[in-house]
Formats: sequence, C-alpha cells, structure tokens
Amino acid sequence: MLYLLKRLGFYLIAAFAALTLNFFLPRLMPGDPATALFARFRGRLGPEALEALRETFGLTEGPLITQYFTYLAHVFRGDLGISIAYFPAPVSEVIGNGLVWTVFIAGSSLVLSFALGTLLGIAAAWWRRGWIDTWLPATFTLLGAFPYFWLAMVALYLLGFTLGWFPLGHAYGDDISPGWNATFIGDLFRHAALPIGTVVLGTMGGWLLSMRNTMIGVLGSDFVNLARAKGLSPARVVLRYAARNALLPSVTGFGMALGFVLGGSLLTEVVFSYPGQGYLFVQAVRNQDYPLMQGVFLVITLAVLAANWCVDLLYLWLDPRTRDTAS
Amino acid sequence: MSDPRDNVRTGWSAWAWAIRRDRKASIGAALLLFFAALALIGPWFTGDPDALVGVPLQAPSAAHWLGTTAQGQDVFAQLVVGTRISLAIGFGVGLFVVLLGALVGVTAGYFGGKVDALLSLVFNVFLVIPGLPLAIVIAAYLPSGPLTLALVLVVTGWAWNARVLRAQTLAYRNRDFVSAAIVTGESSARIIVREILPAMSSLLLAQVIGSTIYAIGAQVGLEFLGLGDVSRVTWGTNLYWAQNDSALLTGAWWTFAPTGLAVALVGFALSLLNSGFDEITNPRLEMERAWRRELRRTGQVPGESTPVVRG
Amino acid sequence: MTTPVQQRRWRRVAAAAPLITAMTIALICAGCVRKRPPHPPGVLVVSQEQAASWVRNFNPLTTATAPRWPTLSGIYEPLFVFNSVKAAYVPWLGLAHEWRDGNRVLRITLRDGVLWSDGRPFTARDVALTFELLRRHPALDRRGVWGFVERVEAIAPLTVEFTFARIFVPGFDEIAAQQIVPEHIWAGIEDPVAFANENPVATGPFTEVRVFQNQIYELGRNPRYWQTGLPHLEALRCPAYPSNDRANLALVFDEIDWAGNFIPAIDRVFVGRNREHHGYWFPLTGSTIFLYANTTRVPFDDVRVRKALSLAIDRELLIDVALHRYSRPADPTGLSDAYSSWHDAEIAASGDWVRFDPERANQLLDQAGYARGPDGIRRLPDGHPWEFELQTVSGWSDWVRASQVITRGLAAIGVRATVRTYDFGAWFQRVQEGKFDLSLGWSFEGPTPYPFYRWLMSSAAVKPIGEVSMGNWHRYGSARADTALAAFEREADPERLRSLGDDLQRIFVEEAPAIPLYPNPSWAEYNTTRIAGFPTAANPFADPSPNKFDRGECLLVLTTLAPR
Repeated sequence: MLYLLKRLGFYLIAAFAALTLNFFLPRLMPGDPATALFARFRGRLGPEALEALRETFGLTEGPLITQYFTYLAHVFRGDLGISIAYFPAPVSEVIGNGLVWTVFIAGSSLVLSFALGTLLGIAAAWWRRGWIDTWLPATFTLLGAFPYFWLAMVALYLLGFTLGWFPLGHAYGDDISPGWNATFIGDLFRHAALPIGTVVLGTMGGWLLSMRNTMIGVLGSDFVNLARAKGLSPARVVLRYAARNALLPSVTGFGMALGFVLGGSLLTEVVFSYPGQGYLFVQAVRNQDYPLMQGVFLVITLAVLAANWCVDLLYLWLDPRTRDTAS
Repeated sequence: MSDPRDNVRTGWSAWAWAIRRDRKASIGAALLLFFAALALIGPWFTGDPDALVGVPLQAPSAAHWLGTTAQGQDVFAQLVVGTRISLAIGFGVGLFVVLLGALVGVTAGYFGGKVDALLSLVFNVFLVIPGLPLAIVIAAYLPSGPLTLALVLVVTGWAWNARVLRAQTLAYRNRDFVSAAIVTGESSARIIVREILPAMSSLLLAQVIGSTIYAIGAQVGLEFLGLGDVSRVTWGTNLYWAQNDSALLTGAWWTFAPTGLAVALVGFALSLLNSGFDEITNPRLEMERAWRRELRRTGQVPGESTPVVRG
Repeated sequence: MTTPVQQRRWRRVAAAAPLITAMTIALICAGCVRKRPPHPPGVLVVSQEQAASWVRNFNPLTTATAPRWPTLSGIYEPLFVFNSVKAAYVPWLGLAHEWRDGNRVLRITLRDGVLWSDGRPFTARDVALTFELLRRHPALDRRGVWGFVERVEAIAPLTVEFTFARIFVPGFDEIAAQQIVPEHIWAGIEDPVAFANENPVATGPFTEVRVFQNQIYELGRNPRYWQTGLPHLEALRCPAYPSNDRANLALVFDEIDWAGNFIPAIDRVFVGRNREHHGYWFPLTGSTIFLYANTTRVPFDDVRVRKALSLAIDRELLIDVALHRYSRPADPTGLSDAYSSWHDAEIAASGDWVRFDPERANQLLDQAGYARGPDGIRRLPDGHPWEFELQTVSGWSDWVRASQVITRGLAAIGVRATVRTYDFGAWFQRVQEGKFDLSLGWSFEGPTPYPFYRWLMSSAAVKPIGEVSMGNWHRYGSARADTALAAFEREADPERLRSLGDDLQRIFVEEAPAIPLYPNPSWAEYNTTRIAGFPTAANPFADPSPNKFDRGECLLVLTTLAPR
C-alpha cells in the first residue's frame, strides 16, 4: 500500500510540475496570442476591434503570482480557458470527445504492440537462432527506425490511396451515426486499422528485443532449469515461469512507452486526419490557439500520469517483491 | 583510455573491437560512415537545393535522380543537403543530452542523500511528462530554427540518460577503485571526471547513440509538423513540404519516400551499432558465442534451443 | 529438455500468433473496397473550412471566431449581395437604396414578405437592432460601420435610415454587406460576442440543423425561404477535414461536391480523374498580392527604386513556381479582375514598370545614382551596400516560393535580399508596425477600388512606425491620391465615380507606392456527378468559390445549384 501511495505522491508532484510548466511557459516566451486572431481575418479587423477582443479573451495585465493562483483555481474546476480558434467554446469542450479517440488509438496500439512484440520475443528467445530470431528482430528494428508518421504516409498512400482498401481518414464513415451496433463498430475498426497498424509496426521491435534479451537470461536461470527438470511441459515453463519473470522489465518500460506512443500517435493522427487530440494539438499550434494547445498538453500529460499509475498497479500484481517491501 | 576494471571490455577500445568483430556493428558503422560522408562532402556536388531546376513533380530520371518537388527543385539535392543539418542536430543533441544527463545523473548517484532525492525527483518528473507534446508546446512559442529545435530536444530528452547514468554511478560508487580514490582524499569532481566517467565511457557512448536516434526521430517529427524553420532544407522540412504540397494527391512518392528511407537507415545503422556492441559486451551473449565456436570446432551443429549459461 | 514433438507443436502455436493477427486485420478490412458514401439526393457536400472537429457556432456577427461556413453563406443574409464577377449589386433583403440630404443620409427599402425561419416577419427593426448590436459591442463591428455612421433608425416597417457622421459614400458597401439577425432573438442575448447561436433563426436558404457531430454536420433547407421554390437542394453537408490535403483527397474521390482549395497540378490530379464531372474555375478575383517596400526607409522612398525593383521580378517564373500558373502577372494598376468594370486598359498600358526587364531596372538605378560597389552590390548614399530582408510568412508555400524568385531577380540588379520567414503572428506584427524592408502582403478588397487604393496610398492611413496599422504597411501617402479619395468619399454618381477611379489608377501607375505581383485566384472546384449548376467560365453568373461568403456571394450559387 505504501508503495502505491508513494507512487501516487510522485504523480501528484509530476502533475503539479506540468501545471506550473504550462502556466509559465507561454509567459516566458515572446509573442502575443491575440495577434494570431488576425490570421483568420486577413486584415479585415481594425486595431480597435482587436483591443475589444483582447478584453473578451481576458488577456489583461496583472501580477504574475495572482494570475498563477487564478489559473490553478480554474484548472481545479476543470476550466481550461477559452479556445481562441473555436471561440466561444471552452477548451474543455473542444478537447472533450477528442481524448477518447486518442486513448483508443494510442491505447490499443500500445497494448497490441506490447502483446505481439512480447509474444514474438518469447518465441525468438525460445527458438534461439530459429527463423523468428534471425529475421524478426532485424526487420522490426528497421521498421522501428522509420518515423511512425512516415510509415503512416506510405501505408495511406499504398493501401488507402492507390489500392483503396482502407478509408483515407476520419474515425468512422460520414454516413454512419455513432452507436453500439455492429455496423458502427466494424466501421470504427476499419478506420482505425491503418493508424493502429502503423504504430504497432513501428513500436513492436522494441518490445520484441527487450523481451527476447531478458527471456534469454531468465531461461538460463536456476528456477527455470528446476522447472524443466521437474518435467513440466515447455509451454508451462515458458509462460508460467520464464515469461512472467522476464515480463517485469517490459512492464516498467510500458509506463515509459505510454508517453512515447502517445507522442507518436499524435503524428499518426495528423496523417490520417483522425479526430483525436493529436490533430487538435497540431491545429492549435498552427492557429496559435495557445489556450487550446496548453489544454491539450495538460490533458495528455494527466492521461499519461494516470496510465502510469495503472501500470504501477499491474506491476504490483506481477511482482510480489514490491508487495513485500511495501508492507 | 581506461583501465580494464570490469571483467568486460569497456571504453572506446571495446567499440573498435565490436565494430571489427560483429557483423551487425560493422554494417551499422559502414552505413553511418556513408551518411556522414554524404553530409560533409555531398552538398558541394549537388548545388543549391532551393534552386528551381525544372518542371515541378517530375518522376525520377537520369537528369534528376530522385525527381523534382512540387516547386521544381531537385529532390536528390534536397536530400543530400538536408543530411547535413539533420545529422548535425541529431548528433549534437545526442551529445548534449548525454552530457546533461551525466551531469545530473552522476551528481545524484555520487552524492546520494538529499541531492539524489531532489535530482531524481526532477528527472523522474521529466521522464513521466510525455516528451513530444512538451517539445511541441515549447517549440510553438519559440522562434523557429535549428537552435530552437536543438534546445527543445535537449530539454525533453535528457532525463532518461540521467536515470540510467545515476544507476550506473550507484553501482560504481561502492567499487574498490572509487573507494580507494576517496580514501586517498581526491576531490569529488576529480573522482567523477577521472575515475567514474572513464569507467562508464562505453555506456556513455551507447547512450549517445541511443539519444541520437531519439534526436533524429523527434527532430524530423517536429519539423514535419512545421515547427522547424521551413525555409531551411532538412529531412524534416523536406517531409513537411512533401505533405504541404499534397504529395499523396499528386502521387509524388519520390518527394517523401527517399527522405523517410534515409531517416530509417541512419536510425537502423545506429541501432545495429548499439546492438552489435551489446552482443560483444554482454557477458552472457558473449559466452554463448564462445560456446558455439567450441561446438563448431568440435564439428557439432549448434542446437536451436538456448544453451544453459550461468549468469 | 523438451521433446521434438512438443517443441514443434509449441512452435506451431507461436507461429500462428502473427498469422491470427494478420487474419484479424484482413477481416477488419474485409469489404474494404472503398464504397462511395451514399449521398441522399439533393445533398450538397461542401468543404470550405478545415478543422479537426466541428464546434457548433452559427453566430454571424462575431469576429472573435470563425463561425461555421454556412453561417455567412447560406444561413444569414446581407441587405445586398455583391456579385464580384459582374461587379454589380443584387438586391437581397434590401430592395433599393437612396442617398438623401447631400449624401449624408442613406435610406434603404427592404423586401416585403420575407419571413424568419421561425415564421416571424422580417422588418426594419431587425436591421436597426443588428447595427445597434455592432454599436454596443465594437468587437462585432468587423467592417467599422460605426466609424462613419451616427444613427440607424427604422422609420417605417420596411425602411431603414442611416444617418452618417460625415459624408462617406463608400460606407454603403459596408452596410450592404452586413448580415442581418432577428431582433426577437438577439435583443435578449446578453453577450452576442460569445453567443454560439446553436440553433440559428435566419432568413437564408439553409437554416435547419439536422445533424451536428464533431466530424460532420448537415443543414436542411429553410421551409419558409422567401424565394419561393428555392433552394433546389435539400441540405448542405459539411464533413470536417483537418487540412487542405485531406479535403482534396476527398474531393478527388468524389466525396465532396464543392470546395475552394488550392490543388497542385489540378488538371492531372483532379480533372484528369473524371473529365466529365470534375471541374474547376479560378477567376482572378481575389486580392492582389504585392511586394511592399517600406517607403520610410532609404532607398525605398525613391520612386525610381521601387520601379526598378518591380522591373527586376520575373513574374512569369514566379507564377510558374509559386502558383502552378493559376494566375497571371499583375497589371500596373494593381487591380484584379474583381474590378473589371473599373479597370482602364489605357492607363494600365501607360505603366511601363510592371514587366520583366532587368536591363531597364539597372539603367534606372544607375541614373538614380546608386552605383555598384566592387562586389557588384549597389551602395546606399551613406556607402552601405544594399542588403535587405524580404519578409514572408513561414508555411505559406506560395509566398515563400515567390520570395525566392524575387530575391533571385533582385540579385541580378545588384540588390542582395534574403528571404526571412516569420510565424504569421510575428510577421503580421512587423508589417503592421512598419518594421520591415521588403515584405509580401495582400491588398484590400471591396466593391469599388476605394478601399483598395485607400490602403495603398492615402496619407490618412499612414501611421507612424511602431504603431499598429491595419493597412498601408509600407507607409505611403500621396497628396494627389488624398484629393481623389476625398472626392470619392463624397460622390454617389456612377459616372463621376468612374472618372475618379481612373484618377486613382493613374496616380498609382505614376507613383508606384507598392509593387503588384499577381492577382490571387478565387479557388473553386466542383463535382457535377450529383449536383448541377455551378458557375463556370462558360456560365459566369457569380463567383464560383465557396470562400466568397463575406459579402453573401455564395447565396447566388447556393440558390442556383440543383440535384441532377
């Protein structure tokens, strides 16, 4: 329990750091978000109208420390400010359903790539020097060296644009209304296949290699030998004994990979015009919609922190030693 | 360079050895050398990459080896010239990230106590905040350019190195050679610089390689989003322009395929180098190697299942 | 140790894992052959805005955000629609206008029998309230109407009277373009700037929000539309595409009927895919793009220098490289085709400085006494070499490429200019404050050349360096232009206006306040598979672009289109 509380405390500190960073970054940097508004009016707006708008957005002067505490109070109420590009919609509303899509894409690609990579890693370690071990690590290392978004572009070009097997964008067809029915869910997967697939391809190699290398070590350890000597079936030895132990470093890496995959899926979303955070984020940056941009950053960060906390729980379940030291 | 204090080879000599001995490492080194040469001397031969050389969107031909962009520039020239800045940023950031990581990590590991607690907290927080989004936010506020990119990548990339190097320092902290130095009354700075860092040199180099992979990938990603200086020719901006000029729509695969391939090859080369090195220096893998040599010498075929090696 | 049999079986299982995955993926994409979305008949699919996801906002007044595209193009209507292709006003909610009291009072008669979409009649009180809102909330007064209007009154159920603070005839253009909102709804809105107006009540052809999701929305036709029998279309549908590129893909794959995007190599990429139904028309009615030289800085205060710079630019190459030949070199008057009825070919022909003639440019500079130094770079009077920064916006590829062509041209006449790209915000601030040597920039549009030339050469529009100025970034004031512009402001007679327009053109051609490069095309692509009636070069009844909504011009198209 203590272990979990400690971790929780750490995540709270991290969240606080992210909040503070979020507040001070824009104020330390040059530039003025309100001028960005002109972008959409191409000069049709006079300086007087701009001044009036500036007040509308609350971009007024005040001591920094007061602004900081007001900001914190707002964040705790779930108020992330007002989007400039989507005015008068509050940032929280604009972000609203976008997070679901990002979590869907990043989450399922992470889980899928972890599962596939780990399984293949086990296989590679078990049949050292077999064809899996010879070819897959190298292939996936090469694939992993490509930027995800580039894989996404190529996949979109070949499978979407040229062959027409997959849709070219969006999370579901324009003519389908969302609902829990087979058509919608099927459509959902059809649209998610390429985004998830490319991220999985790009990230699987890491899991494969790390699992393979730890597995090789674990397979040589005494307790595995003992299990083998007892005449347990290979499947049991591999999965129940070796893999469970070899999994630990990977699970630690899992938490770390969360942030990474999320970053990558942001880019992938841009390529597939997937309606998640990534797209919103990039557009906010391009529109210089700073409130929205920071809101997205904060939400992504908090999501990663929360996911890390879940990984800690998983770790606790996998590794009894943490339980022991904790009690 | 360093004393053979570990039972495994360390330091630069180990790298040289790995590159000579391991096929993966030699392929990686050769590829890397090729790109380095391309970056250094290539631009002298290709001419101005911004020059408008012909009809836009020509497919690859003898005149333009990789075709032309939507603006009628030579894709090959852009690829070659882009190599320079991209690799410079990549290696520069890789180096800096490790330096910063070493500074923080070694300090934390060596001094321990409150210093360690505080520094560890800082890098753990940085580790858990997603890097790319943070990089995007910072880059969005700063004027675009290679320096901004480098800064952003250093800020978001150092924490991992700090963590690894702290752990390594902790391991060395109680070794005899460090204890001996402490007893002889050497200053902490001297011990760190003269004893600990050299002992970690092979790890440091591996970290630099890993960080460079990260820096190149992240840099290309940020530039692809238009957060770099788009008027400069780099790999990332090449991809940005390809996307911006509707490469997909016009079917101009040659505007984005070669650049992506180059990014991947450099990353692949670096990974090969690192994993080749790992095979050499990892005692377990090395023993297995010896085992197989022995088998072959005695005329037996190495089995497919893992030999049992005590670690 | 494991037995070989066990090993083999286990291997088969593991080998099956990726196979199973592959099959799952294959299953997912089973039936993946791209099927064309089944559009119900009469639904026009438009892509004008690019957004990651839609936010429901149909506020026609606010300037704080861009409302959804139909707001100004199909939901709310202005008093008069300006047809920029025919350069004529079309009576819309307003039927006629009349200047009284020595052009100080503008009286507008409104159309009878117009109903709001909730059934209430449209009256002069709606118009008066709309302008009253602009007065109360300056952030809504996008066109600066209250800079010249003093009072707005509904003097009869169908008559509105605008009393001007000063005589300002071009003010009619701003009043005519204002979209009108219903008094019975908007009088009760506390903060109209932030009002999202999710369920619009309006007079336009499409008012019923049928579907609104973050990825797509649909507006049904107004059952009470005042043009009986119109619109022919059942509904407008707008899918969200995050970028031009994505929208263009959808266009190419027949998912969109009407768009206003830049498409490279359009003949091959779009038209070539379906010659029968894919079409485009890019009339040159957009804003003219200029190279602005800061006339407060030496040597750009010298008209010979500005003309020489202009002569050094190869505009044909520029259009090739930056614009895929979608435009043509600008005219010495700077006027785009939107001013065809004002444009005077004779005056244009008298300007000899908007062509590519580096030799003449060199002559001009030599005559003006700017000799070249030993390095081939010309010298300023104080002996410094001519080295300037040419500013442009990063990411605006057409401008960046155009700048590169320009600097190449300038190098040939001994001027060293370097392209410097800034983020939009930074760039905009610099040009507005006059902190630049050379910069690309747009010009101002309107039904008459008045706003265009006012922002190019009126002394009244010159603000000191460092102060934000909406236009006239190059800070050029011409006494002759001031006289002509003042006369233009007071004149309502079309004949005399025309001759004043000629004067302005003449002054511009002689004084070269800024260097015109090319008129921007009005982007418009259409797909006639399901919908017919788009404006084309052969049938130019209105501007074809969905981007031309600011003065209600899209209404002309939306009320003409019909299902096939």
